[in-house]
Amino acid sequence: MKISRNWLKQYVALDASVDELKRAITLLGFEVEGVINTGLPPLAQVVVGEIKTREKHPNADKLSICTVDVGLAQGGVRTIVCGAPNCDVGNRVPVALPGAILPGNFKIKESKIRGQASAGMLCAADELGLTGSASGLLILAADAPIGVAVNEIMPEGDTVFDLEVTPNRPDALSHIGMARELAAWFRRPVEFPATTFRGITNQVLRPDILASVRVEVPEDCPLYFGLSLTGVKVGPSPAWLQERLQAVGLRPINNLVDVGNYVMLELGQPLHIFDAKKIKGQQLIVRRAVEGEKLLTLDGKERILSARMVVIADAAQPLVIAGIMGGANAEVEAQTTDIVIEAACFRPQSIRGTAKRLGLASDSSYRFERGVDPHGTVAAAYRAVDLIQATAGGTVVGPACLVGGDQTWTREIIVSPDYIRERLGFYISDEEMRGALEALNLIIVAAVARPPAVDWTVKIPSYRTDLDRPIDLVEEVLRIYGTDRVPPALAVGPALADGDDDPIAIFNRQVTAYLVGQRFHEVVNYTLRSRHELATWVSDTAAAELALANPFVDDQSHLRPTLVLGLLAALKLNQSRGVPATQLFETGRVFMELNGTVQEYLGAAFLLCHNPKERSWLARSAPDFYTVKQHLMILAQQAGIDWASTELRPISGAGWGWQAGHAAVAGESSIGWSVCGGLLDLPMVRAAGVEGTVWAGMLAILPEKLTSSAGHRRYQSFGLFPTVLRDLALVVAAARSAEEVRRALLGIAQASTGSAFAIEAVEIFDVYQGQGLPEGKKSLGFSLSFRSQERTLTDDEVNAVFTKIQQQIVADGSITVRA
Amino acid sequence: MQATLSALLAKASAEFVGLQSRADFEAAKARYVGPNGELTALMKQMGAVPKEQRPALGKLINEAKGQLQGQLDAALARISSAEIAAQLGPAIDPTLPSPDAGPGTSHPLTLVREEMCRILRKAGFAVVEGPEVETEYYCFDALSTPADHPARDAQDTFYFPAQARFGNISKKVAEEKYLLRTHTSSVQIRTMLKGKPPLRVVSPGRVYRRDTSDATHSANFHQIECLYVDKNVTVRDLKALLDYIFASLLGKNTKTRFRPHYFGYTEPSFEVDLSAQHLPKVNKEWIEIGGCGMVDPAVFEGVGYDSTVWTGYAFGMGLERLAMLMYGIDDIRYFYQNDLRFLKQFT
Repeated sequence: MKISRNWLKQYVALDASVDELKRAITLLGFEVEGVINTGLPPLAQVVVGEIKTREKHPNADKLSICTVDVGLAQGGVRTIVCGAPNCDVGNRVPVALPGAILPGNFKIKESKIRGQASAGMLCAADELGLTGSASGLLILAADAPIGVAVNEIMPEGDTVFDLEVTPNRPDALSHIGMARELAAWFRRPVEFPATTFRGITNQVLRPDILASVRVEVPEDCPLYFGLSLTGVKVGPSPAWLQERLQAVGLRPINNLVDVGNYVMLELGQPLHIFDAKKIKGQQLIVRRAVEGEKLLTLDGKERILSARMVVIADAAQPLVIAGIMGGANAEVEAQTTDIVIEAACFRPQSIRGTAKRLGLASDSSYRFERGVDPHGTVAAAYRAVDLIQATAGGTVVGPACLVGGDQTWTREIIVSPDYIRERLGFYISDEEMRGALEALNLIIVAAVARPPAVDWTVKIPSYRTDLDRPIDLVEEVLRIYGTDRVPPALAVGPALADGDDDPIAIFNRQVTAYLVGQRFHEVVNYTLRSRHELATWVSDTAAAELALANPFVDDQSHLRPTLVLGLLAALKLNQSRGVPATQLFETGRVFMELNGTVQEYLGAAFLLCHNPKERSWLARSAPDFYTVKQHLMILAQQAGIDWASTELRPISGAGWGWQAGHAAVAGESSIGWSVCGGLLDLPMVRAAGVEGTVWAGMLAILPEKLTSSAGHRRYQSFGLFPTVLRDLALVVAAARSAEEVRRALLGIAQASTGSAFAIEAVEIFDVYQGQGLPEGKKSLGFSLSFRSQERTLTDDEVNAVFTKIQQQIVADGSITVRA
Repeated sequence: MQATLSALLAKASAEFVGLQSRADFEAAKARYVGPNGELTALMKQMGAVPKEQRPALGKLINEAKGQLQGQLDAALARISSAEIAAQLGPAIDPTLPSPDAGPGTSHPLTLVREEMCRILRKAGFAVVEGPEVETEYYCFDALSTPADHPARDAQDTFYFPAQARFGNISKKVAEEKYLLRTHTSSVQIRTMLKGKPPLRVVSPGRVYRRDTSDATHSANFHQIECLYVDKNVTVRDLKALLDYIFASLLGKNTKTRFRPHYFGYTEPSFEVDLSAQHLPKVNKEWIEIGGCGMVDPAVFEGVGYDSTVWTGYAFGMGLERLAMLMYGIDDIRYFYQNDLRFLKQFT
């Protein structure tokens, strides 16, 4: 909302500077989004002068040497060097004399320009802080008195503040509203515009103009007031009125329309003015629109109305979309002589709904949406009558049609100054509080002693509907006291902080610390992805469950089911910019669907890229599945997953982003977590425009399944006697999983050692397939380590066990011992 | 005998100089001092020598043996050092770059978030988390946002279809819709419903607005919010905490200012301005950094806290905005592009 300083001065004496005003407005709670200065700022030592002679500067092509008469009081005729093309003899122009300070802190001094003395400066419009063409000097009227300050012959400058008014303060959406606020801040009285019209007294009834108003929707229109005038003469508004409107960005139309706008901007009450001759049936009807009913609004667009919208109609058709915009069919025109002024109140929600559905907002709807004080509605119509009669003439005729508006306003809040001090946490005296409240017209009408305290009864004016509880008055006191005056204090924490950080936060920190330590770079990607991206990761059914109802753009329409999509996009961006990128990771929420229900998971994912195009003088080995597996294991352990009893299953067939045969998965949605990792599907990676081979891994876990991996550990003896090692190569079917064979061997070894000593580990050290082995077989080399906690083992006892193991492992015929 | 020994030593010496490998060395050594070696053979002849000549002869042989051993040791040392040299390969050039990647990095948003959490931890605030998919109750109703408030509009908030089901996100009322949270204040409501006052919590997290992406707006961004509930909490306490936070985060010469504002869930409400002209690219006296206020009594009543007993404050700010201010970043989209030349600048 734009507020003009000159306009405000009509109601409150404001001698503060622009900066002081800006600060006051800001600290009153209205954000100043812009300050526009119009007109000429006050300028000392800038006077009217007439160019008497002009000669070419001997040392510069584009400069002239002028003699300028600035009046005897300023020293008569002086010589000034000028660069403007229009410094013609006889022109009267603004002259900045030595000592003048022009906008931008440009100080004028006597000087020499290319060797020629110059005692001042002839000014162009922009040099004086005026907007306008910068080409050449500002030429003043030929009769402008020489030697007089330019401020005296130019219109006064104005400052317009562009404010953001919070939705709880509809009362501030007018010049009177802001004048009240500033008057409270500067402790000045507010002078309200004096209205001379006080209602119909002449008893002239002209029901042929407007006979009655019928409100069919009192819940949407609690107050409607229609007042008729005859014999008005439409014409341009007087200059002062046009200036006011132009200052705040409105285009003057004619005196009637301009008065309507002026009163709205002055008092905050939107008005509508009908050409009475266009009202068929002499009755205005406030009703719901008929579904599909059409109205050509003043902005030249045909609006199709729905049954939820309220219109002001005559017997035949809608004339106005209530509270938003009038129709062309009842518009005031040059020939208009009889008018009806509408001053009404509409339910904010109704106006907001209609404005939104029509995509049509106006200064009027802006105010009605936030709420207009019904107790000022009729007065606003009277104010308009005054101004119309002053600018367009006319006679008020009856009947005055008032429907509704019968609710009276009384609101009082009981608050004690102690309560306010307790909430603020610092001392403000009773007197100062009273002063602050009363400056806002929040009058303490009673003070009841409740020793040692006192309770104040504060009367709330009808325009302050936002105030209805004692806490609301705490804010009012603080606003006027100054929120920038809250005294400093030391922050005080509890003696002992109770509660630990959420396990989610702890998990994210652990994952981040681990992966950063492993030289991964953390990235952050959007949660919302495109349908197209999802196609590589989830089924159509699952994608449908992840879709937003109202995406803003097509490429951000679905929740992400994996972090890998974003990692891949980040990789691609870096590759396309020629930035080497090999290791990326991200933590964040992911969403997975199971049987039509979506769950929100915590996700942690990483990506490794081997791009042969990124050359190095010293080769390093490329990552592989087992690099991924190791990272996945650590992430799973950080999430509290029991990895030892987790088995990775190879991904075969359709891999949903993973390369079949080169990736694996563990866990599943139904148990609340899953990990998967390996090589990313090569065609998908190519289609994404990424070069090289890309591996990735992701852990997803429901927040409630997260268990801290920290906690109390217990020491276990690690054995001081030496281990005895035996190697064993087993030949098995090539498709058989190594872990299964290892577990079988471990089980047999544990059974064979019995209680005498322990098999400490069975580890795979070799995998071989090829020459020397039958087709379809592979050899797995295992290292078995035996240890006793009590003594050094002898070869004999270990050999006995080892022989037994070799005999038993081949028992089921699927395994042979390789010689 | 002396002549024989001298000849033998001379022959050995010539032979040892040419030895190249450990195997040659062992063979050569065996030829002289092994069981069938030449020197061993001479020593065996000692038995046949008359008794009186034995001391002198023994001395001669011992001397020869000592000399031979010396020659062997020298040869072995020479071979060993040649072996090590072969194992080492040519000398390194320390000026060549390491092919290994540099250190990993945390995202600047993570760095700022963790720094804030660390500062708040010192003041007793613990991190709480909540879901990013929320319901209308937790995101709006419980925070006194009226049913027709523009913030709830489908124009500004991402909603899910009415039939959408989220298994691990609880609804307060069956007919309410799921949405993407527009602020982390929903976590405050969940926290208050779950716990009992007094509370000191901080909720950092991702939030969503249905908005055009540009240099200062992003479809999702991050907030960090604090909530303190206790008896006798005052406006001054709130100001004190904010002063502490920003002095810790941005330096002692950072000032804060309250400006009255309006939020549905706090009363009084303020916007917080910072004066921090020592930061990069800051050329205004006051810059807006977040919103705050005293928890509205209606919010307490909504979560079942007695508003005549409990008071509190809440404040929140955008992490991106904070990071942009701290590091002098001028485009919010850089956080989401993940150009490594950007990401590597902050750790």
